[in-house]
Amino acid sequence: MKNPSSSSVKSRFTRRFLRALIKINRQKPSSSSSREIFLRYRRIRIAADKAMACVIGSRRAWSRAVLRRIKNQKRKRLADSLRRSNGIHGMKKMVAKEEDEISYEQENELRKLVPGVGAMDLCSMLDETAHYVMCLATQVQVMRKIVDFYST
Amino acid sequence: MLHRLYSPERWTFNGTDVSALQRQHAGLKRLQQQNYIVQNNSVEFGSNPLSGFRGLVSSSFHVVGAEGFVPSEAAMEQCSSWTSGCMTAEMETVKLKEINLALTPERDNSNKRKAEIAADERCIEKRSKGEVGMEYSEVKAKCSSTEISANTSSKENSKVSEVEKSKYIHVRPPRGQATGSHSLAERARREKINRKMKCLQELVPGCSKVTGKAGMLDEIINYVQCLQRQVEFLSMTLAALNPSQEFNVANFPAKEFPAYITKFPAAAKLPALANRACLPFFPTQPGATNCMPDVALHSPQASIERNSTYSVSTSQQTLNSSGISQLGPLSSWSLDSQGLYDEYNTGFQ
Repeated sequence: MKNPSSSSVKSRFTRRFLRALIKINRQKPSSSSSREIFLRYRRIRIAADKAMACVIGSRRAWSRAVLRRIKNQKRKRLADSLRRSNGIHGMKKMVAKEEDEISYEQENELRKLVPGVGAMDLCSMLDETAHYVMCLATQVQVMRKIVDFYST
Repeated sequence: MLHRLYSPERWTFNGTDVSALQRQHAGLKRLQQQNYIVQNNSVEFGSNPLSGFRGLVSSSFHVVGAEGFVPSEAAMEQCSSWTSGCMTAEMETVKLKEINLALTPERDNSNKRKAEIAADERCIEKRSKGEVGMEYSEVKAKCSSTEISANTSSKENSKVSEVEKSKYIHVRPPRGQATGSHSLAERARREKINRKMKCLQELVPGCSKVTGKAGMLDEIINYVQCLQRQVEFLSMTLAALNPSQEFNVANFPAKEFPAYITKFPAAAKLPALANRACLPFFPTQPGATNCMPDVALHSPQASIERNSTYSVSTSQQTLNSSGISQLGPLSSWSLDSQGLYDEYNTGFQ
């Protein structure tokens, strides 16, 4: 497996994300209401997702799924984001699990979390999950540094 | 020779066409691969011309005398004794083939059957050794009862055993084999999953202590959720920070930004200190910020923010040091708008 948390992926993601941030910041907010902040948040979130998926490219299923979802989201953006956040919060219920075997509930839960692994077998899904986790960790690291930098 | 050809048919000709096929197959293969057997057979055959030819070839290197007995094909091949010997062997095989053709009415289907037999042999290899061994010994006993000559008995044995095995697999339903391959595939899949889980275990912190796949998957799910929420939260924070950010982003080109990020603690100290120094003047200085030329766009909204979050600004000194992550979006907004001005000031002073 290629190591996605290498410095090249990190720096490329940083560059892309910052470019997107600059682009978002060009459009000045008309008001400072929470609605405005929410819209801005959504755009930044999509920009972060898109930057990461673009850096990874089309060689991974999850990045392909993210890009496709962003493309499809142009129209029904708000409803989808609401549904997704509801879905994540609704998945909090714990499942009764055996000791050593992976239950279907867990598998489905992971399938919902990782984009683009809906119809995969378990092996490929775990592979995708590993890659996705690494990329998410990189993303969080970079974004936290940006936030820290700007918040001081 | 003819006796040998007949002998397998005699004992396996019990209604199955496989025996005829087997006999023909074995005979052809043996004769084509082992020329010396054919030569020996020719001596036994009693065909005196061929044996005389062999004697001539071996003794006098010239094949002149052989031309009287051998047909024109061998006459054209006069270069060496070895090639002519081969030719005689080939001729012998051709003869035997004709005999075979005459003896086997099912020869048209021989190719198809051969393919079937090959497939069956491949299937048989996967079966358990005990059954095969038993079958093989049985076939051996059968073969010893028949009059198969000594120099070809081993080869005949293997052929017969294969044919018997193919018969056997036709009789028996391949139940054991199916489950065997399924269980093999299942085991391979499980090993693959275990490898992937181990890989994931290294990625997810705190997952190495958990035993069992279910617990590990729980940890992984939690970690992915946590990371996704962190991304959400961080983008929310960035959204809250954003109105003030364009100066910074414009000041720091994207290409140089990673360098700033990597030495963030050193770079952040100066603005933080300046921020704290400017803080006491903050509530009483709306006019001071308004008079700055470039911040004119942001001043109305900043003042609005100040009105709405005035209570927050009183406790800003502590919040400033504790960092953004403990603040809500609105408080960080006001904090940042103030911090931006300070940073802007320090950047141009």
